[in-house]
Formats: sequence, structure tokens, C-alpha cells
Amino acid sequence: MSLFAGVGGGAAAGDPASAGGTGRALLELTPHKLAVCHLVQVFAPPAQAGGDVVPPFPFESVAHHNRLGLFLFTLTRSCDDFREPSLEELLRQLKAVDDLTNGWLCEQLTSTLSVLISPDDLFNFFDKLRGVLTAPEGAGAEDILLDPNSQLGVFLRCCILAFNSMTFEGICHLLADLVMYCNSTDASYDLAEDEDFDTEMSNLMDADISSQADIYQKYRQGRESESHMGESSSALTRAPMILHDFDEANTFKVDEDNPTSLRSRWQLEAYLNQQADLLEKDPSSVPLNSFNATMTQLQTLAPELHRVQFLQYLNALCHDDYVASLDNLHRYFDYSSGMQGLFGRSVSAVQDVIVGKYEGALLCLGNLHCHFGHPKKALEAFSEAVRVSQMNNDDSCLAYVLGAISNLLAKIGMSNTVGIVSSPYSLGTNIGLGTPLSIQQQLLVLLKRSLKRADLLKLPSLLAFDHLSLAKFDLKNVQRPLVSFGPNASTKLRTCPADVCKNLRLSSRVLTDFGTDALSTSSENGSFSTSWLRNLATASDSRRSSSMKSTKLHNDFDNFHYLAQPSPVPSPVLQLAGSSYLLRATAWEHYGSAPMVRMNALVYATCFADAASSSELSLAYVKLIQQLAVFKGYSAAFCALKLAERKFPSSTSSHIQLLRMQILHERALHRGHLKVAQQICDEFGVLSSSVCGVDIELKTEASIRRARTLLAAKQFSQAAAVANSLFSTCYKYNMQVENASVLLLLAEIHKKSDNAVLGLPYALASQSFCKSFNLDLLGASATLTLAELWLALGSSHAKRALSLVYQSLPMILGHGGLELRARAHIVLAKCHLSDPKFSVAEDPEAVLDPLNQATEDLRVLEHHEMAAEAYYLKAIAYNHLGKLDEREEAAACFMEHITALENPRKEEDSLAY
Amino acid sequence: MASAKETYRAELRAAARQLGERCLYSAAKWAAELLVGVDLDTSPAPSSAMDSPSSSSAVSAGRLLHLHRSGGSSFRHRFRPGGASSSEAGTPLGGVSYVSTPIPDDDAFDSGGDKYLLAKTYFDCREYRRAAHVLQNQVGRKAVFLRCYALYMAGEKRKEAEMVEMEGSLGKSNAVNQELVALERELSTHRRTGSIDSFGLYLYGLVLRDKGCEDLARTILVESVNSYPWNWSAWSELQSLCTSSDVLNNLNLKNHWMKDFFLASTYLELKMHEEALKRYERLMGIFRSSGYIQAQVATVQYSMKDLDEAEMIFEELLRTDPFRVDSMDIYSNLLYAKESLTALSFLAHRVFLTDKYRPESCCIIANYYSLKGQHEKSVLYFQRALKLNRKYLSAWTLMGHEYVELKNTPAAIDAYRRAVDINPKDYRAWYGLGQIYEMMGMPFYALYYFRKSSYLQPNDARLWIAMAQCYESDPLQMVEEAIKCYERAANSNDTEGIALHQLAKLHDVLGQSEEAAYYYKKDLERMEAEERQGQNFVEALLFLAKHYKNIGNFEEAEHYCTRLLDYTGPEKETAKNMLKRLQSGFPSMDIDNFAL
Repeated sequence: MSLFAGVGGGAAAGDPASAGGTGRALLELTPHKLAVCHLVQVFAPPAQAGGDVVPPFPFESVAHHNRLGLFLFTLTRSCDDFREPSLEELLRQLKAVDDLTNGWLCEQLTSTLSVLISPDDLFNFFDKLRGVLTAPEGAGAEDILLDPNSQLGVFLRCCILAFNSMTFEGICHLLADLVMYCNSTDASYDLAEDEDFDTEMSNLMDADISSQADIYQKYRQGRESESHMGESSSALTRAPMILHDFDEANTFKVDEDNPTSLRSRWQLEAYLNQQADLLEKDPSSVPLNSFNATMTQLQTLAPELHRVQFLQYLNALCHDDYVASLDNLHRYFDYSSGMQGLFGRSVSAVQDVIVGKYEGALLCLGNLHCHFGHPKKALEAFSEAVRVSQMNNDDSCLAYVLGAISNLLAKIGMSNTVGIVSSPYSLGTNIGLGTPLSIQQQLLVLLKRSLKRADLLKLPSLLAFDHLSLAKFDLKNVQRPLVSFGPNASTKLRTCPADVCKNLRLSSRVLTDFGTDALSTSSENGSFSTSWLRNLATASDSRRSSSMKSTKLHNDFDNFHYLAQPSPVPSPVLQLAGSSYLLRATAWEHYGSAPMVRMNALVYATCFADAASSSELSLAYVKLIQQLAVFKGYSAAFCALKLAERKFPSSTSSHIQLLRMQILHERALHRGHLKVAQQICDEFGVLSSSVCGVDIELKTEASIRRARTLLAAKQFSQAAAVANSLFSTCYKYNMQVENASVLLLLAEIHKKSDNAVLGLPYALASQSFCKSFNLDLLGASATLTLAELWLALGSSHAKRALSLVYQSLPMILGHGGLELRARAHIVLAKCHLSDPKFSVAEDPEAVLDPLNQATEDLRVLEHHEMAAEAYYLKAIAYNHLGKLDEREEAAACFMEHITALENPRKEEDSLAY
Repeated sequence: MASAKETYRAELRAAARQLGERCLYSAAKWAAELLVGVDLDTSPAPSSAMDSPSSSSAVSAGRLLHLHRSGGSSFRHRFRPGGASSSEAGTPLGGVSYVSTPIPDDDAFDSGGDKYLLAKTYFDCREYRRAAHVLQNQVGRKAVFLRCYALYMAGEKRKEAEMVEMEGSLGKSNAVNQELVALERELSTHRRTGSIDSFGLYLYGLVLRDKGCEDLARTILVESVNSYPWNWSAWSELQSLCTSSDVLNNLNLKNHWMKDFFLASTYLELKMHEEALKRYERLMGIFRSSGYIQAQVATVQYSMKDLDEAEMIFEELLRTDPFRVDSMDIYSNLLYAKESLTALSFLAHRVFLTDKYRPESCCIIANYYSLKGQHEKSVLYFQRALKLNRKYLSAWTLMGHEYVELKNTPAAIDAYRRAVDINPKDYRAWYGLGQIYEMMGMPFYALYYFRKSSYLQPNDARLWIAMAQCYESDPLQMVEEAIKCYERAANSNDTEGIALHQLAKLHDVLGQSEEAAYYYKKDLERMEAEERQGQNFVEALLFLAKHYKNIGNFEEAEHYCTRLLDYTGPEKETAKNMLKRLQSGFPSMDIDNFAL
């Protein structure tokens, strides 16, 4: 959930700190700005009354001229650092533009700046600047090259104004800074870039050398493969960012003593936003300490820019530092006194929310507790937020809080007996009903309220978020009418996939909505300019060598497409829209359509990778790999897993880590390596937090796996006990979908323990659960189990079993994985074989075909137990047919699998892949 | 004793001169003040010495004795100067033997004495760079020190100017003393070659502290005070670097009598009031009429909530030293707490005439306006105080209080927050923050701040009560936690007796009538001891009467009912009815409900 809506960069004007000052200028003059002013002057020389050379002196063509203009434009908009670039860096960038004039611009710039040595020189400099904006007396209006209202014109005017309102002391300081600025280039002017980088590498701040070397490597790769851009694009986009972070950390160390000049407030804020993005997207890429050091430095330079503290809070939060994040959160909101608000991508204060004030603090506090897994504290904070925002008539904040609460309720298992939310004053759940509502019902009420408010207040992102949560809710819960009395004829106890679908569609409407809304105006935050400039720097080396015009054009094109994260859609919107695809994949996983899962996960991984946070992206990968494991066997899955692990180091991505354990466990079970399976089960168990109600999904999965391991080890009573306790837990936390699979597992346990009669009710219950939650694939497998159970009751039930198998076959053959298909085939063959009226000799294909198919599938899966069964059946069939050779062959295979299962060898292999 | 005092005097005399020579004015001032403060035991009769200036301190000391009966043994010594003197001669203060440090004898001018004289006059006229320039090629230690010190001062002066000049829209820029780098380089070489004296070390310590190398600065300052203990400025720098008692205990200090001053003052800063008071009491045996010690003792007394005692001392101090501004802000806080408006206005008037551009003066005036209820003006003066000294901790906190009065919550929060950021141990500001958030109806949010403050001051009942009230508040209703907090409050000397009453009530709410009865009883005892009566008293009686009736202890019930009869109001009638039923022998039938 993105909570970064709020007052944006435009707050500068309204901010009391800047407005309250005594005639402070809009922007502070710095040597860097002087340099830019000078370049603007070169770009648009003061119009001479007579000569009208169309591209003015040093430029060869209009394109060349425009190139400098574009460069200047991006200089005034970019925000890749909080400090302004040094002269050296500026010259390096300028060189890329200045190829045609052989460095004339650079030389001219340095010489002009170095002659400014007395206050009077500065006065003259600005006098000349004024000439750029005003037409000389004789000239007509069309002679003026620079529009005073253009970006550059405004910049120039601001500088002139700042100079005019400057005190003499200020001018003295400016001169002193200027001397330092010019001197900084003397030594290292022509230093090759790579050397530069290597020296920086040697004194990195964070100790984690290996990962940095890794990143460095990535960066290298990125630069080498600059020209062919298709492969692994996201690795490329990330590397420069990281590099840039390192740069900061180092430069910070080097010139600690020098007073550094800051960029303008607008650029600073954009920079902070960018950093916040980075933190949200991939916290592991931001080293905790060096980031904090950077922020502390920024704070000493600009003590009134309190958002820095918010970033420190985010940083601490991302790195799971509870105390620091709590301290920074409180500090930020104390200082900003509710005035500065949260971060904003959206500038317009009118339309979008101003989440700020103290209710915003509570909202953040709640999210913090939610993040750290303190549901009770989070709920307290949220309910206080609700109260305060109602008191202050802050509807938008209220809507966000409601969204956050529903997020919390959905995330954290809470049994119905815990009645925290139901306190009447807080959430207003007493909608005239005498009976207390269950958590699920409360959640639904909250979601609907939030949705309504978001709609009324025109908060497209919150609207999308609410639709997503509603879809999530509908997926797993049966919507019951709130009123439990009266003529409730239309009570249909089933989930409604159409609702899910509708909500998912509505949520991705945010992609179109933002265009018409205010969100779009806010998208420009300087990051585009930043990436443009960065490209300029990295590309400048290669450009010099290759031929001139064509490369330039190509590179420009390159610049706009290959590092261009600023697509017209702001990243939070993209993220939300992407989430809807991810949720679609999950929904199809439930409903049981493998191709749809694959398709949606693929869409997410390819189209939204830019905006996605690393954890969500890894989730998409996990889904794809799971599908691979189920449909293509383990070797393919492990190949993919290796790739994914390279992309997301498993130490940082819990999703990938889980996936690895899941696949390993499955394979160990199939191979019959029970010790390994048990070991992995134990590992699973310790992953989840010990707090009751937290990590509930993880805990469920761990128990299921434990039960399955026990089942495989033929410890039936223990397996049944585990499954039973799991069932009661799921029941307590209202996890009905999980219940369906637990029931099926119980049926399976009874089947294996030759208690078919006991298994039947479980299978039937599971089937009915599957029906009401539309879990088609799981339902089909429940039907299959049912058939097996009937079959186990005796050959007289073969007919019934067969019809059940036929019933489930379309679903299983269409969407089922290898194992399920094999099982279906085996059951089919078994039905035929045990049917006394069926004779193999009449229709050998009816038995042999499915069995061949099954053995084929099971070979891929390395599933010894079932393969043995299939070969056994095959041998029987051949025996009936009288084909002795084939029979012997099948029997040999059977023998092989049985021995492999009973005497597992090389168990430790199961942990490797 | 006389000889010991004489040596102190000789040492201080030399120190004041030497420090003054080196333009270390405040340290020289301190030494000179102390020199005069040494008890004049050369005067003919001890009794007359008691009457003259030091009589006041004797009076105050007598009071101290009265209030601290338990630890007053060392005090009694002082009142028998004749008898004790012989025994104290060998082991001066409380049986501690001191290391005697020879007074360095470098008063003789080294070569270039005339230039030094010129530089010093420049320095006195605050023309620092000129002073440094004059001494440029001098190599004597004294000259080197003065040159470096002048440079340091010049840098400081420039820094101050720059702070104002370079204030941008994003707040004050962190102007730094430009001379630090060069000074550090020079002083470190001097130290390596051993050609540095203790004054140079002091300056080196200052430079290091400004550069942020606090550990090294501490070591250097320790070196400095060990070789020349009479430089109070060095001690107070060292004190500012001792932020916890662990740091303090790890210092390797020579046992000079100046160390006692240092320790006492540091104890005060670290809120170890008892220890500080003990040290000062001992020191007062020798420096009987020192205004500094008196002021410090008064501050300790004030911090220990001993307002009357502290006021006595301050009054006396002002009588002997009417133009004193140091520590007077604490006196004004005291007067504020006692709500003595006239005395405060008198004080404000006096410091205003003495020096109105001292942060302390502004703070006193602000206190005066605050007491008058003119909070806008008060804020104005606090702001002025803070302009004069941005790190003036108590002004931030007090300004926060004023903003609270003005209902300007954001400004109040801001002010408190700044106080907390200057000194994270300022529990008052944390408490203030908590209070504001609680007032704004955010009790859950406020808990964080109360927790912070009670962590810093775990024995303050008010903080625990505030926290408990948050837990107890309507929206949270976390009674269990509230009870825990009230228990802490009740255990840490809750003077207002809120905790016991609330504990009883909350236990009653939870249906734990045994515990409730226990606390009501305790509360009753407390109120009886303090001879206080009121609604709470009646409530307690009524509850106890009902409780004992319910558990069948009719005697007790009767006892409480009879006591209730002394009070008017509906409770009296209830008690009467209850008594009637108790005596008529139908105690087990609870007809209360029907009757009411």
C-alpha cells in the first residue's frame, strides 16, 4: 500500500518555514547556479540589435543548440543528489554536449567563473544576465531568444532576484564558495572515469564487501551490455542507482569539512521522494548505515527539512530496526507538527489528500506496528487514528486508515473470540444490529466504507487498493447478508468469482483514472531529468570514440527508452495496477486454472517489474516456478530457481527461500527421502513467528507439510492428529479455503490407513467446501480421492468409482499437474481392472494407455511410490493379456521403484539441486 | 587547618593571576571568586566570623542539617571549628588526602614579553586576529597558547557571524570555526613534541570537542586538569563531555581538591543529587562564603524539591552579591513554583537592570510574565533567550509550557521536541510532549512519550500517574496496564495520593474487591495521616463498609458505618440504613437493592 500521497513539492510556497522568513529569496545562489546562468547566457546571448545569426556563435547547427538547451533544462530539473554537482562533474557532463566545439564551452565556463573575484565582478555578471531577458531598445519582440516564462527564463529570473536581494555578506560568501568551486577541478579534471570509480570502491562505507563487489560486477555488466538492452532489463536499471548511492557515501566522506551547497528545495524534495521509492522497491539495495549517514549529513545542512527524518524512519523500518523507526517516526511528526504532511507525489493540494497532521502520525504508527507484527498495538493506533481524523474532519485520512485496518485484519489471523475492533466508539460497527459482528463481517463493512469514501473523495489509488482488498476478501470468504433475520431467500453460500473478477477489473482502472485526475500532473518529479543526465555521463565515453551524429541520435533514443523509468504512469499507480495482476494469478490458482496463473504472473513479471517492489516481483517468480515444478518436474523448476536466486538473493527474499524449501520437500517426499523431508519440515516450523495469530499462512503450510511427511512415513495416527489440530486452528481463524485441503488430507490419511469408510465423510466435506469456494481443481482431486475410497470398499463399487473419475477427468487433464494426472490415470486403470465385468483382453488400450501416460509423468516427477503402483498395474494388465515379456519388464520396473522407495540411497542429494 | 586554607588561598591566588594572564577570563573569575570564598579563619574570633558574611551560610547550613539529619555528621564538624581544625589539618575534607600539585612557575616573561603584552591588550579589546598576528613568530609556550587561543576566538566570532549570515530557507547552516583544522594540526604537533602546557592542552581539548572527537577530547582535558587543576573552564568542558556516570567513573583523575568541585557539579548534572549535596557540604567547610557553592547547593535543593531551603540560600546569595545573574534563572523557576509574584518581579527588575542581554535574564522575565498569565509576552522573552543561546535547554521546555497555555499545540510540540533533541534526558520535555498528545485525544500516541519520561525518571510518581491515566482513558481502557502503572506510582512516594485511590477504584471495577479493600484501607490511612478529608474519604469508608458486610465481617462493617455517620450527604443515609440492618440481625439479606 502506498501511503505516500500528500503535499508534494509544491508545499515549498506554503511552508511556514520558507514563507515566514524575512524576505528570503526563492532560491539560494550557489556557484553551480552561477555556472548554469552563464551557460544559459551562452545558449541565449543577449540579442544584438543588428546581427541575427540563427544559431548563435559557438553552435554549428540548430540541433546542437537545442542539445545544450535540453541539457540546461535537465540541469535545472534533475534531482539525483541533495548536493549540487561539482564543477568537475558539470564539465564532464557538458563535454558530452560540447563535442562539436572542441571543449570551447568548458573552457569558456571555467575562464568566466575564475575571473569573478570581486563583488563588483558579480554585479557586472548579473547585469549582463539581465540583458538575456530584456530586449535592447532598437529590437523588436521577436529578437528575444529566451522566453522569460520558460523554465530557463524563470530560473534566470529567480537567480537575478536572489542576487538583488542578497546582502553584502551573502555576496562575500558566494565569492568564497566560488573560489572553492573553481579550485576543486584543478587536479582531477581529466581523470578517467573507471579509475575514479575504483578508488571510490576502496573506501566504501559499509563493510559488506562481497555484495558490493557483486553490485559492482552488475554495474560493469550493465555498462558493457549497454547496447543490447533486451535481456534482464531490471538489473540494468537498478545498478546505476546503487552506484549512485555509493558515490554519495564516498563523496560525503571525502569533503566532510567543506560547507556544501544544497540544491533548491524542489529538487531536494524530489530527491527524497526518489530515495523513498528506492527504499520501498528494494530495501536490500540500500545499506542501512551509509544511507543514514547521508541523511544525517543532509539534516545538518538543512535542519528545517524534516522529511529527512521520515526517510530515516522508512529506512529503519525497511531494515527492521524497531526502536530507531519508532524514534524517527515520532521525531518527524513532532517537528513537522502536522504541517509538512507525508510525502507527496501529487502536488495538487486541492484534489488529493493531505495526509499529514497527527492522524497521519497514527496511521504510520499503526503501519509500523503492523509491519513488526504487533496486531493489537496496530489496532489501537488505527482506532485512535480513526477517532482523531473524525475529530479533525479529515476524511481522506479516515479512508486511508480504514484501508489500513482492513489490510491488517486480512493479514493477521484473529479468531472471532477476540473482540478488539468491536468497541462501539471506535469503528462504528454498531450499525444498528444487536449481534456482534464477526471479524470477517467487520472487515467487509470497513472495506465498503473505505471504498465509498475513496470514491467520494476521488482518491484513485485508494480506490484501487480497496477494490483489490475486496477481491481478496471475496476470494476467500462467502459474503453473507449482514442482517441475519427476515426474508433472506437469496442466501447462497458460495463465493462469487464474478465479484472477484469485477473488483480486479475495477482496481486496474486506476491506470486510466489517473490520467484524468490530478495524479497525472504530479508525475514529473525530476527523476526523468536525472536519468537523462546520468546517461549522459555514462555514455560520454563510448560516444567520443564512435562516429558523431548517428551515435548521438541513437543514444538519445537509447536514453529515452532504455533507462527511462519515468514512463507517463507514476510508479505507485503502476504498482497498484500490477498488484491486480498478481492477485489475478492468485485467484486463478485458487480456482484452478494453470494457464491463467502463468499468464497473469508473466504479465506482472514483464510489464510491471520496473515499479514492483522486490518482494512482489519475487512472488510472481515464485508462482511461475511453482507452476514449472508441478507441470514440468523438478529439474526444470530447480533450473529456474537458480536463476531467480541469482536475481533475489535468498537471504533477503523470504518468498524465494520458502519456494526452495517447498520444492525440496516435495521432491524428498516423492523420492521417499523421509529424513530430509522431516528436516525441511522442521526448518519450516521455525520460520514463522511464535506470536499467536501472526504468520498464520506460514504456520498452516508447515502443519500440512508435517502431516504429509508423517503420512509418507506411515505414522497414520500422528498424521491424523496433526491434521485434526490444524483443522481446528483453521476453523478458529475462519480459514475455510485452507480447510478444504486439510479435509482432503484427512481423507487421504484414512485412505492410506485402509479406513475407507472413515475417509468418505472427509472427502465429501472437502468436496462441498471446494464447491462453495469454487476451488475447481481441488474439487476434482477430492472427487478423485472419493473414487479411490469407493474403490477401496470393494470391486462392487467400481462402477460408481469409474463414473466419479470420468466426472473429474476434464478438469484434471485440462489444468492438473503431473502428479494429479498420473493419479487420475492410475485410478482409471484400477477401476477398469477391478471391475469384474471388464476384461482386459477386449479393450487393452483402456488400461494400458492411461498407465503408460502415468508412468511417463511419474518418471519426470521421480515419484517412486506411485510409479511402482503404475508398473504393478501394468504388469497385471500384461499378465491378463498374456504378453509375458512386457509383463516381466513392467515387473522389473516395479521392483526397481519399490527398492528405491524402501531403501533410500543418497538422501543428502535431496538437499542439493 | 589554617595552613591548609592558606595553601588553598595561595594556589587560587596564583591561578587567578595566571589564568588572567592567558585571557582565560571566566576561569580566572571563578578562581578569584573562590579565593574570596575561603573561610577567613585568621579573623580574631570564630564567633565574629560566623556573624560576618558567612553567617548566612551558617544559617542555611543549619537548615541543611535539619533537613538531612541522617547524613549530617560531616556538617557538625564544621560548627566546631576549634575542635575539628587539628584533626582536619592532615586530612582536609572528610578524610581524603589530596595530591598536591606544584604551582607552575612560568610567570616570568619569556623573550618577547612586550609583544605578549601588546597581544594581550588587543585580545582584551577583542581584536583577536590582531593579537594572533602580533605573536606570530613567538615560540614561548605562553605566546603560542595565546596566539592559538586568539585564533580560536577569532574563528568563533566569525562563526557566530556566519550563522546569522548564512541562514537559508531550510534552516541554519552549520557554520564551522574555520580555524579548527589548522589549530588541531599545530596543537597536536606540539603535544607530540611535548612542548605544550596544560593551557594548550585545554585549548586542544576544546578544538577536538568542536570537531566531534569526543573521546580524544576527554583524554586531553583529563591531561590538562591533571597537570593544572585550577582551570575551572577545563573542568566544566570535561563535565559537558561526561554524559553518563560510566564515563565519569572511567576518568583517570588525580585526586586534587578541585576534583571535588568537578565531581559535585557533574553529579548534579547527572541527577545524582544526594552525592552532589554531600560533596558540596564538605567543600563548604573550607570555602564557606563561596557564592558558587551556595548557588550549586541551592540548585541541588531545588532539584530535590526542597523549595524553602533553596529559596533561603538564593535570598542570602542575592543579598551578598546583588548583581549576580548566574544561576538566577533557577531562582526564578523556584519563585515561579512557589508563585511568589512580588519576589519574582523584584528579581526580574534587578537582572534587567544588571544585564538584560543575558539568556538568564530573559528567562527570568519570561517566567515573570508567565506567572502573570501573559503568555504571549512570556513566549517573546523565551524566544529572545533562545536567540541568545540556542542550546538553552530549560528555555525550550518552558517555552513549550507557554505554548501549551496558549493552546498552540504545534508550536509547543516543536519547542519540546527541540529540548529533547538537545538533551534526550530531559524528562520534563518528554512529559510535556506526552501531555500535549493526551490533550489532543491521542492517548495511545502519548504513551510513547510518557514511557520515555518515566524511563528517565523512574521514581517520579507524576509520570507514572500520567501514563496510567492514558491507559485508563476512555478510548484505550487498558485497565490491567493502568493498574501496573498506578502501583509503580504508589510505590514511589505519590504525594497527591491519586494512585492509591485509583488503584482501589480500578480493582473495584475489575471485581477484585479484596484488592480494592486493601487499597481503600491504605488510602484511608494516608488521608488520616495527612488529616485530609473529602469525597475520597467518604467513598473509601462506604466501600469498606459494604465490602465487610458482604464478606460477613460485620464488626468491621459497623465500624466503618459509624465513621460514615460523621459526614453529611446521601452516604450518611445509606450508612444509617446499613447500620440498622446490621444491628437488627438480617445482615445476610441484601435488601439494599430493593430499598434504593
